[in-house]
Amino acid sequence: MKIELLYPELCYLYGDLANVRYLKKCCPSAEVVETHYKDRPAFLDGGVDLVYMGSGTEDGLSRAAGALRPYRDDIAAAIDRGQRFLITGNALDIFGEAVHSDDGLEIEGLGLFPFHSDYQILKRVSTFFLGDFEGMTVVGFQCVFGYLDGAPETEGLFTLRRGVGRNLTSKVEGFRRNNFMGTHLIGPLLVLNPPFAKYLLRELGAGDLTLPFEDTAMAAYEKRAAEMADEKIDYNFH
Amino acid sequence: MGKLRFLLALWLAKLSVPVLKLTHHNGSNFPGIVAIRLCPDFLRYVGRPKTVVAVTGTNGKTTVSNLLSDLLEADGQRVMSNRSGSNMIFGISAAYVLNSDLLGRAGGKVDVAILEVDERSSLKVHPDLKPDYLVVTNLCRDSTMRHAHPDFMKGIITRALPKETKLILNADDMISCDIAPENPRVTYGIDRMPGDTVECVNLLNDRPVCPRCCGKLEYVYRRYHHFGKAVCRDCGFSSPESTYLARQVDTAQRTMVLTEDGEDHPYRLVSDSVFNIYNMVAVIAALRQLGWSHEKIRGYMDKAAVLSTRYQECDIGNYHVVSHLAKGLNAFATSRTFQYVADRPGRKELFLMINDLSCEHNWSENVCWLYDSDFELLARDEITQVVCTGLRGIDYKLRLLLAGVPEDRVFYEENDLKALELLHFTPGDDIYLLHDVEDYQTERLMNRITELANEHSAKEGERHEN
Repeated sequence: MKIELLYPELCYLYGDLANVRYLKKCCPSAEVVETHYKDRPAFLDGGVDLVYMGSGTEDGLSRAAGALRPYRDDIAAAIDRGQRFLITGNALDIFGEAVHSDDGLEIEGLGLFPFHSDYQILKRVSTFFLGDFEGMTVVGFQCVFGYLDGAPETEGLFTLRRGVGRNLTSKVEGFRRNNFMGTHLIGPLLVLNPPFAKYLLRELGAGDLTLPFEDTAMAAYEKRAAEMADEKIDYNFH
Repeated sequence: MGKLRFLLALWLAKLSVPVLKLTHHNGSNFPGIVAIRLCPDFLRYVGRPKTVVAVTGTNGKTTVSNLLSDLLEADGQRVMSNRSGSNMIFGISAAYVLNSDLLGRAGGKVDVAILEVDERSSLKVHPDLKPDYLVVTNLCRDSTMRHAHPDFMKGIITRALPKETKLILNADDMISCDIAPENPRVTYGIDRMPGDTVECVNLLNDRPVCPRCCGKLEYVYRRYHHFGKAVCRDCGFSSPESTYLARQVDTAQRTMVLTEDGEDHPYRLVSDSVFNIYNMVAVIAALRQLGWSHEKIRGYMDKAAVLSTRYQECDIGNYHVVSHLAKGLNAFATSRTFQYVADRPGRKELFLMINDLSCEHNWSENVCWLYDSDFELLARDEITQVVCTGLRGIDYKLRLLLAGVPEDRVFYEENDLKALELLHFTPGDDIYLLHDVEDYQTERLMNRITELANEHSAKEGERHEN
């Protein structure tokens, strides 16, 4: 199994990189290839099972978008071919059309999905997310400067049960096309969601693995899912 | 109209002080709340002391503010501070309400203001406060929800700061050093230390590449995370030189030399922890800017101590017990605490109570930061046991296991008092309580640890007698 980690020097925030460390821990034989800012992404030449990119600073996102833009058509073709991606946190924003911020930041996105992101830099929104993915419960967290707008009809990655999806009115979270999975959820998504981690590992050809410390991971996951389902618990961070 | 509204706000805010006392209400920020609610630009109109020093940064700002205030007060200066209130606009305004006369003049009662400012509050505070000096301790990863990331905070402070404010910056922190590049500045830092490396051994590294060109940063030395001295071979960017440089730091002997303009000045360390040495050097830099001589600073610094609520140690029965602040939601602060604890000599049993209690009852706390924090440091053999507790205790347990702490050393019980019973109190082990900022919780747990330490000591004594 070969995992490509895109721009870890630009997109390193909020514990997202733990997803790649976790996959490696689950499957020690996996090869992790780091692609840096001035490098050509390895997946463009084939042989990569999963492309991962996580949350970054706004400057980091801007640079990452600039680095990927020359390969925009190749990335679109890769998605059409079924290349598997897992994109988390605000890294998803650059796969849309554009990012606008009220402090003047403008990022031209890759335009692979028909949405845009509007940041209000002094109105950070933190919420939790409870939803579903192919019959599995998914838990997670969002911390964003702005939600995703547009494309209400396009397929989401997760369906919403409680919390916030792509935006305050959307019933889905993230985007999915073929094997591209993009979510605004931040942090160690795979650690927090053992069933989703097992699904991904199966898709990557690792078979039906027992996760490291699976009992503890499941206990934490079930506890969190029960809390998030409790209507008395507010899903916004104040 | 503005001035009239200001005076009305000031008088009512002043009136609230005796009213609070008469009605037996606490509320150190309340006068500031009254002032700002009635006059949102209260800080623009209120009179200024001769000198205003603001202190901000992710970690250490309370220690630096308190130490600065203590030394100035010890010298007989009349100091206005917000140490009894919050470090946001209400607490700062309350300090002005209490220290100004009925016409809003602070100059007659106060020589210098030392104001701790929450970095997220910069936009509300600095444009009107117009500090003469801003001491920045550092900018590191803090609460994901509130502070996003250090570069975001750098942008906030830069936008907020008047052009005239002179910056006192940590040269070893390449992020905060980049605040308001047009403003006048001096810098402080600590020269290469024995434990320094070149590569980053921490999970958090917020300056992995050159901020100008994205080239690889080459570290001359790296203290931890993004702290150190680095150069970019691609574009020539480099960390600034320190105006005030601590050298020959000897934590065992508790001594250092402070070099300024090529001259060395000996100092006694107020603490053996690196982050408190940074705080001390920041205070020296600020006092030098206020015109103090090194001899005078040294004289007062020798009698100074860092705030004890953040760190306490004592012997109870046969056990050495340490309580140490490990700010929850803050991967940098917890990592530094883990490093400090791991490096201390002897075998240790750890009790982790760093859940954010304010989140527990109304939000399912965001635990993503756990995976940016160096729990791997707790996998050392000298740490014989780690007990985690609280609503998020099981998340801590999972994080510890994934960090490589052996399963037979990790214990979890949600109820904190029951969890304390899981500590082994093995003779010879030191007991560490790592806690968040809720002091009432710490006191309650320390009381129970004291009881347990005495009980185990008594049992040990009986065993020896038999």
